[in-house]
Amino acid sequence: MSATLKPLVEQGPELSVDEVRRYSRHLIIPDVGMSGQRRLMNAKVLCVGAGGLGSPALMYLAAAGIGTLGIVEFDTVDESNLQRQIIHGQSDIGKSKAVSAKEAIAEINPFVNVVLHEVRLDVDNVMEIFAQYDLIVDGTDNFATRYLVNDAAVLLKKPYVWGSIYRFDGQASVFWSEHGPCYRCLYPEPPPPGMVPSCAEGGVLGVLCASIGSIQTTEAIKLIAGIGEPLIGELIVYDALEMEYRKVKIRKDPKCPICSDSPSQTELLPDYESFCGAISDGAAEAASGSTISVVELKAKMDGKEKFMLIDVREPGEFEIVRIPGSILIPKQEFLNGSALEKLPQDLPIILHCKSGVRSAECLAVLKQAGFSDATHVAGGVLAWAKQIDSSLPTY
Amino acid sequence: MDLVEIKFYAAAREAAGVPHVHVQPDSIEEIIASLIKSSGELARVLPQCSYLIDEVAVRDRSIQVKGGSRIDVLPQFAGG
Ligand SMILES: [Zn+2]
Repeated sequence: MSATLKPLVEQGPELSVDEVRRYSRHLIIPDVGMSGQRRLMNAKVLCVGAGGLGSPALMYLAAAGIGTLGIVEFDTVDESNLQRQIIHGQSDIGKSKAVSAKEAIAEINPFVNVVLHEVRLDVDNVMEIFAQYDLIVDGTDNFATRYLVNDAAVLLKKPYVWGSIYRFDGQASVFWSEHGPCYRCLYPEPPPPGMVPSCAEGGVLGVLCASIGSIQTTEAIKLIAGIGEPLIGELIVYDALEMEYRKVKIRKDPKCPICSDSPSQTELLPDYESFCGAISDGAAEAASGSTISVVELKAKMDGKEKFMLIDVREPGEFEIVRIPGSILIPKQEFLNGSALEKLPQDLPIILHCKSGVRSAECLAVLKQAGFSDATHVAGGVLAWAKQIDSSLPTY
Repeated sequence: MDLVEIKFYAAAREAAGVPHVHVQPDSIEEIIASLIKSSGELARVLPQCSYLIDEVAVRDRSIQVKGGSRIDVLPQFAGG
């Protein structure tokens, strides 16, 4: 539990008669009052994404009277968004999500200044965009952007109000390295590619966006006005089926590469997609439902199951470290087709590489060639060395 | 000897079928290996989790967990 912090934002000008009428239910709460409302109206909040979490966050932030709301979004509204992205409506299908969100906000509260950033957030634009805001609310839907947002927020010393959802589960926290842990203190590394399905693949209960988005909005308002105890150093874990909110304490990792006292990383990474081992759409499709973890592989070995384990890396890498029982057929032989004749028809094939990216590409080739029960190993030999046999060297 | 308490959250809790278990002190990787032997469901979920030992995330899975410690097992996802 953390103590109340001083307000993030200074008080803006006095309220007009119209504004007093609009915000009267805030003004009569002693902890918010006139000074809290003037802080909200002077605040600049950036919402990354106008999707599931961004919808309720933007709508309630707008209604609360946040002075400037920035929106980073380059996508367009699709019919499949409307089950949960309630800031958009039927007539917005095909429209820019940023524009659609801006129109909805104007209807909720015309006093809000909306700034659109219709770009894909990347290492080249993130610092310049974030620098214009007091606080960042995260409503993105992929690991690469989340690590990018975290690192930029740490480097700029801005609070990062984080939330994440999947099926019936939600998590939320406030990461602010000035006062507590960051996202990387909680999740040091992204999961192996292909291991965690996205909401597009695995689904999400629509109303979960409101459960988590409203926690994010609440925390943003508390930080701006300096009221209550911020969700710093604590993670909320929400389970909609059990209807339980659990709190897990998280401490700053003394070895965190970006937010510790002597960080090993003092600027953004060159490429967050490759940090997260992003794979091509074709490889992702092949890997979906055909990915096993290193612990499952180990269990197959221990259970004396019959299969062929193929390492698709290069010979030099095979020399450094290998998974016991694997044979080497480099990726190129899959791509030019020469590997196929070496493969048994009567044994299940399991592919692996260093981190799971190349093996997913080779898996796509195998699936096309009719090896429908072939699988690949998430995280590759690095995951094996980390989780199964830490005596092995890594590179 | 004091045992290590393992608390499961979200999908890990569902896969484990129980909210928490107690195990003998060992390295994180050995503890994970013994957990997955007990449940195929856990084998699918555990590799994508973060492990907090007494509230601090684990980076090196060969480190020994002392008796009396608590490990929070948190599945990671990125939907929004
Ligand atoms: Zn950190």
